[in-house]
Amino acid sequence: MAESNAAVRENPEYQDQSVKKVVTSSDLVTMVWRSLFLQASFNYERMQACGWLYGILPVLKKIHTNKEDLSKSLKMHLEFFNTHPFLVNFIMGLVVAMEESKKDQNTIRAIKVATMGPLGGIGDALCWLTLLPITAGLGASMAMGPDPNPAGPIIFLVLFNIAHFSLRFGLMRYGYYTGVKAIATMKEQTKKISHAASIIGLTVVGGLIASMIKLKLAWVIVVGQASIALQEKVFDAIMPNMLPFAYTLLMYYLLKKSYSPVKLILFTIVFGIAGKGIGIF
Amino acid sequence: MDVTFIQILMVTLWAFVIGIDQFNGLFHIHRPLVTGLVVGWILGDMQTGLITGATLELVAMGMVPLAGAQPPNMVIGGVIGVSFAIISKLPPEAAVAIAIPFAIAAQGCVTLIFTAFSPLMHKADRWADEGNTGALAMINYAGMFTHGAFFALVTFLPIYFGAASAQSIVEAVPAWILGGLGVAGGMMPAIGFAMLLKIMLKKEYIAFLLVGFILVTYFKISILGLAVLGACVALYDFYAHGSDDNGGSRIKQGVRTNGGI
Repeated sequence: MAESNAAVRENPEYQDQSVKKVVTSSDLVTMVWRSLFLQASFNYERMQACGWLYGILPVLKKIHTNKEDLSKSLKMHLEFFNTHPFLVNFIMGLVVAMEESKKDQNTIRAIKVATMGPLGGIGDALCWLTLLPITAGLGASMAMGPDPNPAGPIIFLVLFNIAHFSLRFGLMRYGYYTGVKAIATMKEQTKKISHAASIIGLTVVGGLIASMIKLKLAWVIVVGQASIALQEKVFDAIMPNMLPFAYTLLMYYLLKKSYSPVKLILFTIVFGIAGKGIGIF
Repeated sequence: MDVTFIQILMVTLWAFVIGIDQFNGLFHIHRPLVTGLVVGWILGDMQTGLITGATLELVAMGMVPLAGAQPPNMVIGGVIGVSFAIISKLPPEAAVAIAIPFAIAAQGCVTLIFTAFSPLMHKADRWADEGNTGALAMINYAGMFTHGAFFALVTFLPIYFGAASAQSIVEAVPAWILGGLGVAGGMMPAIGFAMLLKIMLKKEYIAFLLVGFILVTYFKISILGLAVLGACVALYDFYAHGSDDNGGSRIKQGVRTNGGI
């Protein structure tokens, strides 16, 4: 990659700073439909990133008529992204509003990272632990028993999807119009906002490292009569979640040493299978 | 019960559709409850289908894709369980017992699919550079097709070759390989977070990363609570360290007055 190209990409500002209102109501609807494919290309390296990009692709094309800006924006939206597949529409609305007003990329990225974690948590609690058990439980109770009722599954689907799509369409509009309003008032303070959002974002990433990464040892050291469970007696005693944190730091270090993410993924798989094979995990 | 080849193909087609729906669309037709109705109708025994589907649904309810966890894949579990309950005339509980090994094996393979799509992201980076939006969209269509095709295959083979031979194949895979894939899947988010850190982490933010980690580790605070707390700090930072000079000099004056007293 040429030096000058890299310099252009380092610059968080878009070249074309002219702000035009191009996002219409029907664009918001289109984005909701496309956001259904959020996890189409799900992978461990970027998770939902490419599906997220697919969702906002037509709108990005409308906003960035400058070619350089478009590819810059595409690249940024291919960075790691993962959130709840229903509530993503709120972030989409917000981010599209920011793109439309040509905010700098650091701010947009910080907003994405600051919102994806909490919305993931809310979505899990709201959709998977509340909405789904209630509607599916109702449907299953009708389909069970001595006289199964075929309406059970259908009632489940109808109830679930009414809530599902109300959430999606509502949040998309809400995100976009909140974004438009908020951006108008915070025009001058981009740097400070990016800084503030980075604080939230990194706090959340710290919490996600502790809650999302599952890495526990099953290794028990037997010394004569005594046996020591390494995880409970040693690592948890020093600091719970120490291993997930250490593993993240190792990955961070290796990335800085310019190991490719794919290598790290393969390494993780080999590590997991080998570890399970010799009984560490 | 004898099934015709057409019926097997129809169940396979259903598996293709719900293989896509469980990741994309999320209309939730992939739930065992719905599969019970549809596969029951295809195989001509709606009664058994509904009861088995509902039983599997209750088992699946606890196995939700919560952040990072790798539950058995009850989408496959649903299709296989309902099919065998009808074909082999099994009671629903026995169908669950047959479905679970397939569900675990399928989840291991899903881990592999998610891994296999990682290298494509670097191609995607290049396409983004070139502004090739068509290719970027194509990756997503290819992904969806892969999900559907994989679920169709995993459904077709055991039903076509029969439960017994299929189960012996699943059991031939050593448990530590499937378990190891599960372990690796649990560790995988670390790579994503490391990539974010590489982009975002500056020295002045290290403290916040640690605070987030420690609050969740020791105080089990929810991610939403953590975000609100982070927002409080950010809000303070936003107003306290303004770019205007007045704020700074006022603090200095305050220090001086204190010293005087």
